[in-house]
Amino acid sequence: MSTTGDPLKRPLVLLIEDEKGLAEEIIAELHRLGYPVQHVDTVAEGLDAARASGAAIMVVDRMLHGSDGLSMVETLREEGVKTPVLVISALSSVDERIRGLKAGGDDYLVKPFAMAELAARIEALLRRLDDVRTTKLRVGELEMDLIEQTVKRGETLIDLLPREFKLLEYFLRRPNQIVTRAMLLEGVWHYRFIPETNVVDVHIGNLRRKIDKAGEPSLITNIRGAGFTLHADA
Amino acid sequence: MRMPDIFRSSALRVALAFAIAMTVATSLIFGFVYLQITASDEALVRVVLVNEAEKGANYSDAELRNALDLRLTHDLRRLDYVALFDAAGNVLIGNIDKMPAIPADGKSHFIAAVQPPGAPRQSEPAIFVARLRPDGSVLLLGRSLLEVYALRRTVLVALATAIGPMLLMALAIGAFFARRASLRLTRIHDTIVRIMRGDLQVRLPVRRAPDEIDKVSRDVNLMLDEIVRLLVQIKSVSDNIAHDLRTPLAVMRAKLERGLAGDDDQELRAAARQALAELDRAMRTITALLRISEVESALRSSGFKPIDLSAICADVFEFYEPLGKAKSIAMVLDAKSPVPTLGDGDLMREALSNLIDNAVKFTPEGGTVRIAAAMEAGRPVIRVSDSGSGVAPGERDKIFERFYRTIRNDRVAGSGLGLSIAAAIANLHDFDLRVEDNCPGALFEMSARLKSAPKQS
Repeated sequence: MSTTGDPLKRPLVLLIEDEKGLAEEIIAELHRLGYPVQHVDTVAEGLDAARASGAAIMVVDRMLHGSDGLSMVETLREEGVKTPVLVISALSSVDERIRGLKAGGDDYLVKPFAMAELAARIEALLRRLDDVRTTKLRVGELEMDLIEQTVKRGETLIDLLPREFKLLEYFLRRPNQIVTRAMLLEGVWHYRFIPETNVVDVHIGNLRRKIDKAGEPSLITNIRGAGFTLHADA
Repeated sequence: MRMPDIFRSSALRVALAFAIAMTVATSLIFGFVYLQITASDEALVRVVLVNEAEKGANYSDAELRNALDLRLTHDLRRLDYVALFDAAGNVLIGNIDKMPAIPADGKSHFIAAVQPPGAPRQSEPAIFVARLRPDGSVLLLGRSLLEVYALRRTVLVALATAIGPMLLMALAIGAFFARRASLRLTRIHDTIVRIMRGDLQVRLPVRRAPDEIDKVSRDVNLMLDEIVRLLVQIKSVSDNIAHDLRTPLAVMRAKLERGLAGDDDQELRAAARQALAELDRAMRTITALLRISEVESALRSSGFKPIDLSAICADVFEFYEPLGKAKSIAMVLDAKSPVPTLGDGDLMREALSNLIDNAVKFTPEGGTVRIAAAMEAGRPVIRVSDSGSGVAPGERDKIFERFYRTIRNDRVAGSGLGLSIAAAIANLHDFDLRVEDNCPGALFEMSARLKSAPKQS
């Protein structure tokens, strides 16, 4: 299962999941993306593996053979283990979600989820580690001044509405990363639900029209079945 | 109630306690009367005797003899004692021969047994006063307490005769009321047993003039109504989930089967993609259904904070404005002044999003969607109106029900649950959500209920 020497040099993911079928699918997807995966299926093994701290991120199911994955996360946090944790759970209510985050989870994903959503969330949590406080964001030709609240593409100033600015900022902080609609709704609009109409796509369309150059491929591309990506090399 | 039960039940204890309490109270009253009679009559006798002795001591011999004679003549019942003794202790006049063993100090003294002169009676208690006269003789006045003691005895006899029947009557009355209360409780108990066995339709008896027990029964009945409502709700949720899971599952299964049956890999991929889309749709529906249950079962006002509906309208408007523009719909916001209320900001945003989503969906190109928030007569009101085809009068109540789809709904995507979620959220906030004619189009109005208005469910 080792993927040393992988060109993407992805970090190790510790998966604590007792449902065989789901675990297999998650492992297959993560391997496909180049992540090495360490898989255990009990709380006890999970604690040991997490303490050994080889993993860069943990994916923890809330229900593990009847015991609570959250209490495991709590224990680890008390011990000072800071590895980011993505909690996956069948419990979807807002309260459960808040409980998951309070226990020390960094993100909370409700079953059933698209594999692309899981991958995007893992990537986001991993990138968050090297997210530095900065006043200027630059990706390719795009440059955003967070203090002046201005955006330039090359030398051209781009006029954006406040919410479009927030939307672009979200992308600029995550270049080359898949950003899902749910992540955008949460991160830009603070929506905790998915509206029936794909309003997000309309907002992305508007943003594209402002930042793209005629005749050139769009800086933000659709990733089928997953979300969007802002390309740094465009 | 079966007879032996009465001895085990609290009814008997209540009756006994009642009887004992009655007896004690009656005895106390009699005791008080008894003591009062003795004390006040005796005191009166003492005062009168002391006064008379004082007066008589100063009379001349002749006057005194006259007064004493008069007194003896008038004392038909032989209750008075009078005597005058000379300095040597010999009786000069009077109806008593021997000076009793009291000092001649002019004060009243009690003597327990005196043999009354000339009366066919046993010895009796009496009060005596002896007073020294200036010539050395001693005036003795006394009065029998026979009458006072007779009255005392009468009181005691009355108490003794009354206490037996009274005890029985108190027992009977106590038993009657206790048994009646016990019968009522038994009826309530039997009803509760039926409910516990699963018959949720029966209710506890409540009389027309309700007392405390009836009030509790009424509360229990209301609680049962609520439980039944929740049960029905859970059942309808599971029915709906079953329906909405089975249908797309059937479609998915058919598509995948068809894809696998052919040799064409492209066809299989297309079938898999369609099945996936179908699966996502089913998932969205189930999420929405669970969301409705979550909102409906949420504790009212737990975590409610002061929010500004005007700001929330502006926020959601901003989110949907590009969607409207993309459809060439004029989006109008009319929420200038603050509209404060208590609530959950996230949920209100969700409700409003669903209303606006719905309005944009059903408004044709070139139409108008208007979002307004205002305080009207002290009540917060939100209105979302569109210029679409509107909602037929007969459908206006039904569109908030789960899975109700109007005919026009068929060409528009969506779970059809957005309005149900909005209605559930409105209800949680004690808001009414209704739809009216916008001439043309639909007007959705969400307004705070009057405080006195009963909760709709």
